[in-house]
Amino acid sequence: MNELALKTENIDKIYKLDGRQVRALSDVTLDIKKGDFLSIMGPSGSGKSTLLNILGCLDTPTHGTAFLDGVNVTKVAEKNLCKIRKNKIGFVFQTFNLMPWLNAIENVELPMDGTKKSKIERQKRAHKLLEMVGLSKRIDHRPHKLSAGEQQRVAIARALANSPAIVLADEPTGNLDAKTKYEIMKLLGKLNTEQGTTIVMVTHDSKVGSRANRVLFLNDGKLLKKERKGSHSMTFKCSNCGKEIQAEDTFCRGCGKKL
Amino acid sequence: MIIALGLSVSILISIPSGIMANQKAAEQLSANYDAYLQDMNTEITTAATLLEVSLSPVFTAAGFGGRGGSGGGFIGEFMTSESFFNETVASDINNIDGVATVIPILEKSEGTLETRSTRFGEFEFLKPEYTIIGVPLDDFILSNYPVLPSGIIEGRTLSEGDSGVVLLSANNTEYFGVGVNDQVNILGKDFTVVGVYTTTTIGEMKHLYMSLSEAQAITGIEGEISSIDVYAENEATVGSVYVDITAIYAEFYVNTAESRLESITSMAERQVSLLEDAETDLLEIQTVAYMEIGIAVVATSLIVLFTMLYTVRERTQEIGVLKAIGFSNGSIMSQFMLEGMILSVVAGLVGIVIGTIGAPIITQLLLTGLVPSTGPESQFVGRQIGIPGLTVEATIATPTIELLLIVFAGTILLGVIGSFYPAWRASKTSPMEALRRE
Repeated sequence: MNELALKTENIDKIYKLDGRQVRALSDVTLDIKKGDFLSIMGPSGSGKSTLLNILGCLDTPTHGTAFLDGVNVTKVAEKNLCKIRKNKIGFVFQTFNLMPWLNAIENVELPMDGTKKSKIERQKRAHKLLEMVGLSKRIDHRPHKLSAGEQQRVAIARALANSPAIVLADEPTGNLDAKTKYEIMKLLGKLNTEQGTTIVMVTHDSKVGSRANRVLFLNDGKLLKKERKGSHSMTFKCSNCGKEIQAEDTFCRGCGKKL
Repeated sequence: MIIALGLSVSILISIPSGIMANQKAAEQLSANYDAYLQDMNTEITTAATLLEVSLSPVFTAAGFGGRGGSGGGFIGEFMTSESFFNETVASDINNIDGVATVIPILEKSEGTLETRSTRFGEFEFLKPEYTIIGVPLDDFILSNYPVLPSGIIEGRTLSEGDSGVVLLSANNTEYFGVGVNDQVNILGKDFTVVGVYTTTTIGEMKHLYMSLSEAQAITGIEGEISSIDVYAENEATVGSVYVDITAIYAEFYVNTAESRLESITSMAERQVSLLEDAETDLLEIQTVAYMEIGIAVVATSLIVLFTMLYTVRERTQEIGVLKAIGFSNGSIMSQFMLEGMILSVVAGLVGIVIGTIGAPIITQLLLTGLVPSTGPESQFVGRQIGIPGLTVEATIATPTIELLLIVFAGTILLGVIGSFYPAWRASKTSPMEALRRE
């Protein structure tokens, strides 16, 4: 159990929209090992973000349970969830979401606010993290003075501030050009391999998704039963008959089984 | 936003200062009036045998601060008329049984004619610059009767045989720009100032005393006087002397100690009713003031409320991010409360600046009916009562330090109240919803 960073069991998420029930997630069960680099892919509206929000303790499932670092977070009271978010989870957003009036190092220090670390310790830690993401020379710059790629690096450093058990990234390259995209993915890969950081990434970009060790597919709120065949490729095999299938496929072209 | 808040706060400062200024004016007026009545009472009882004879009604006691307003009627600082009569009347009255002494007096004001519009229409007034008082310089009279003012502060008083000399009230030395032993030109004739006496708080008029004959000569009304102080032999004969004088001179007003006491009683009663009226007015003004304060209080909190609601709305995404990176509801709430408080502190400071500078203007705009803060109109209370020189100082709405501190603290409190709901909403924002908003 301790080997698992994250685990969900039969998660359902049902929203009420204009009196209608909308099922965003349906019976999602997954394990994420510590040190894993997982990407969750799927078309928009497939429930990727909902799943990420539940994994990140921003949302609660209608049914089912979620464990984070061995703790059943579905049983944790709302007011205590912030502590879990602060200490166990690091978020990376598509739009970076840095505080515009804080400079790079202050943005990285922000999550350490209210922790036991002294001001000097926080500064040291933030400086080290910015160095790690390659921004040690731009610590005094405010977000608007940084390029999009640099902003996302600051955001990644911020996500790592409190040494979280898991980093959740929601379309982290969605707002970046091809070259920067590559750099950010390289950075995330480096964090995973060198620091052993567990990363869960949501994306609909198959090139980006392919950088992960493991790719899961969501469609219509359900986890598709297909796995990636080889590293750095986006072809999969059917878990039933073993025939090669495409990332976009929702049923196996070999056995006809719904994926 | 800050300016709007500041204006709102400045109203909170101005209105109470306006009210305080008005209360101060009313208290000052009441105190002045009390002192005035007190002084008059003393004068009346010490001059129990005195009958004042003149062609105009007189309501002040003789010898008061020098002399009172005999010889003319006053409306506030303005003299309406002065009437003179032949001095032979004095010697005729001297022959009446029971009369001990008669003192003929000439009192004539010199000044400029001014047209003033009042609530009763336009009137031409003589605005007296100074008043010449001519008294007989006779040793017996001077030593036995309070004809000349007491309270000499410099030089000496007048005495028998003086000629070409004057005794000035202290405020007149400023008017003429002279002191003791200086020469002063009065209506074309040079006089030497022999002494200066203090004016009382009430006796704001500028008087100068000289011998009766010289006063008659320079004013050009030879053989005429404006009033006679008649002293009866004793209190028992005052009644018969009064009857005799009024029988012979029906056109004269004769004031006895008794009638003066009556008039002072009626003045005291009038004072009470005037003060009551003033209080009623003040209460009405205060009711309006409290409503305006209430509106300003509500406005201040609403401005803070809407500003903070807007801020929270604008920064929903930021709130979502803060929540996602682990900030608690409490810390988000306190951050927005703090921002609301900073807003109100800045607004409070702006308001204090505007309020301190603009209090008189704001007060006049919002509290019509208050004692006007500046100019001659500020003396209108005294003029209404109709007592010469009884005025209040210009009451300028000046906020006190205490008031500023109270309003400042109050503004911060209103800031807290106004930002409570927005801050609470911010803290309750779902991070997911907040992040979804672009």
